[in-house]
Amino acid sequence: MSSIVSNFKEMLLEQAEYKELLYQVTLRDLRLRYKQTIMGFGWAVFMPLLNTALFSVIFVRVAPIDTGVAYPVWVYCGLAVWNFFSAGVKFATNSLASNMNLVTKVYFPREILPVSAVFVSAVDFLVSTTVLAALMVWYGVKPGWPLLFVPFLLLLQMMFTAAVSLLLSMANVFYRDVKYLVEALMMVWMFATSVVYPVEQIGGRLGAIMALNPMTSLVDAFRDVVLFNRLPSAAGLLYVTIVAVVSLAGAWLIFHQAEFKFAESV
Amino acid sequence: MAEPRITFDHVWKKFRRGEPHDSLRDLLPAMAAALFRKPHADALESEEFWALRDVSFDVHDGETLGIIGRNGAGKSTTLKLLTRILKPTLGRSEVRGRVGALIELAAGFHPDLTGRENVFLQGAIMGMRRREIEGRFDEIVEFAGIGDFIDTQVKRYSSGMQARLGFSVAAHLDPDVLLIDEVLAVGDLSFQQKCYERLREFKRSGVAIAFVSHNMQAISMLCDRVLYLRPGAPPQTGSVGDMVTAYVTTDSSSADARVAVTERKMTRGDGGPDLMEPVPPGTWLTLHLAVRPQSDLRRAGLALLFHRADGMMVFNGSSMLDGVPPFDLMTGQEWHIQITFRTNLLRGTYAISGHLFEENRRWPAVELGVLGSFVVAETTRAGGVADLEPRYVIHEPAGA
Repeated sequence: MSSIVSNFKEMLLEQAEYKELLYQVTLRDLRLRYKQTIMGFGWAVFMPLLNTALFSVIFVRVAPIDTGVAYPVWVYCGLAVWNFFSAGVKFATNSLASNMNLVTKVYFPREILPVSAVFVSAVDFLVSTTVLAALMVWYGVKPGWPLLFVPFLLLLQMMFTAAVSLLLSMANVFYRDVKYLVEALMMVWMFATSVVYPVEQIGGRLGAIMALNPMTSLVDAFRDVVLFNRLPSAAGLLYVTIVAVVSLAGAWLIFHQAEFKFAESV
Repeated sequence: MAEPRITFDHVWKKFRRGEPHDSLRDLLPAMAAALFRKPHADALESEEFWALRDVSFDVHDGETLGIIGRNGAGKSTTLKLLTRILKPTLGRSEVRGRVGALIELAAGFHPDLTGRENVFLQGAIMGMRRREIEGRFDEIVEFAGIGDFIDTQVKRYSSGMQARLGFSVAAHLDPDVLLIDEVLAVGDLSFQQKCYERLREFKRSGVAIAFVSHNMQAISMLCDRVLYLRPGAPPQTGSVGDMVTAYVTTDSSSADARVAVTERKMTRGDGGPDLMEPVPPGTWLTLHLAVRPQSDLRRAGLALLFHRADGMMVFNGSSMLDGVPPFDLMTGQEWHIQITFRTNLLRGTYAISGHLFEENRRWPAVELGVLGSFVVAETTRAGGVADLEPRYVIHEPAGA
């Protein structure tokens, strides 16, 4: 137990020592996005908007469902939150493998690479909320004081995204198959989350299993405070908090134990 | 004495040969195999090999340790253990204080970012704080000689410019310990001079340095001691002259069994104690040899080769060409040979190797291997390779 505590102390001290590097790597990736693509941050808005249009056709025209607010704004909110998670994880998964020249040559806490990927996707998320705000104005959705929960939800989401990212980026160093698996995993996971339709409509045993998905609780909580002007479910929030804290602590410890193997695995 | 900055205490490092398992396909068999065997740190499995075996050294403040060896001898592994990228399998590797690493200087550079952006990124990778980088930014650019290009994308730089900028960032660290991996081959001659000057400044200011290089000239110039790593043999630590000589000459085949060299000794002048210290240019030295042939050599001569530590041959000659009559070396006799020569050479470490040959049968010669070495000290009087001892006669204009 005491060794775990001292491990955490060492890990946190190292983060403090290298916070400049975390900032610089995040800045690098944001700058690159801006320099290498014509649309730059437009891409942060493009994918959720495209998906919003597609799913709106399906769930408004073909198979209408009741979502409480206008479906486009409901689904865009879900997609923005989901994209934050899935784009972050996908980008982070490759972050160690694509910086192998650094990993094998220079010492720095390797967490910085996947964690900075999460920060980059957080910036994308903030950019994509501008469109959400526009949609809410268009459809006349008025938020209230529950919006104050948003920073806390963002923190939980970043913690959980970081946990998944640490594990997958590490796995991808050892087995390059992982990044392909992640593509498939993210697609399945999205449909197992209340992103484009409310999963509670599934019900039965499958529904019970899917209720364990912390991303559903998170997406629901975001919609509650942003679109429905109400408090998120206490049980769901507590569950997500526990999952986020435990998974991040566990993933970080495992990552820390394995990081000396990275340079050898090339 | 204060605690050493670098401690390398009986370090062993094991690696796995070839690809471990790069895809999931190989993982399951490997995991199954792992269940049925007990891991022993000091035992080797079939695919494993020791990259380092029982290496120990210390480096104190202001000291420079050179690390030399052929490719695959474990030089880079040693540096990676020191930078904490790798962990030793056995033993202890410790570095105390702030570490600066001049390793793959442009590793952190991204081609699409400008020089300025990359300086901040690279500085952060090396553990500098933003304020520190900002404070030294102008110096860094000035040192690299990048000028107005600093706001251009690095992909438009020549490879020399990239390397210069990379070195320059690292050169403006403020470390207690500096680890250097073969990076001084960057840029043109004048930039290299600047790099060496900077390293000497680090040294003077008390930084402990570990320096890996294939360039024996650089090793001789900068290092106080040398660690010589050899695959399949125990590592050696010793004086720069001894280790560099051993390194330069191990390749040139070992001595031939046909002649045993029973004595090798270098003295100043004709005799006296073994030569240990560097000598000034133009010193008379004598190499004392005793050889015992295991088979007859008729009408023989002795050839000598002098190499500088960086591999340059500075002299090649033989007793016969210098007018010494051939001699008959008969089996079982011990012959004493003295060669007196003058070190008309400038700063450097030099190794002497030689072979015996028969007049009418020049090949195969009988290799004697390394016969001796000496170090010529730095002089403020002259630079270059050879001491030509010029005489100046200046005629004043008549009637002045």
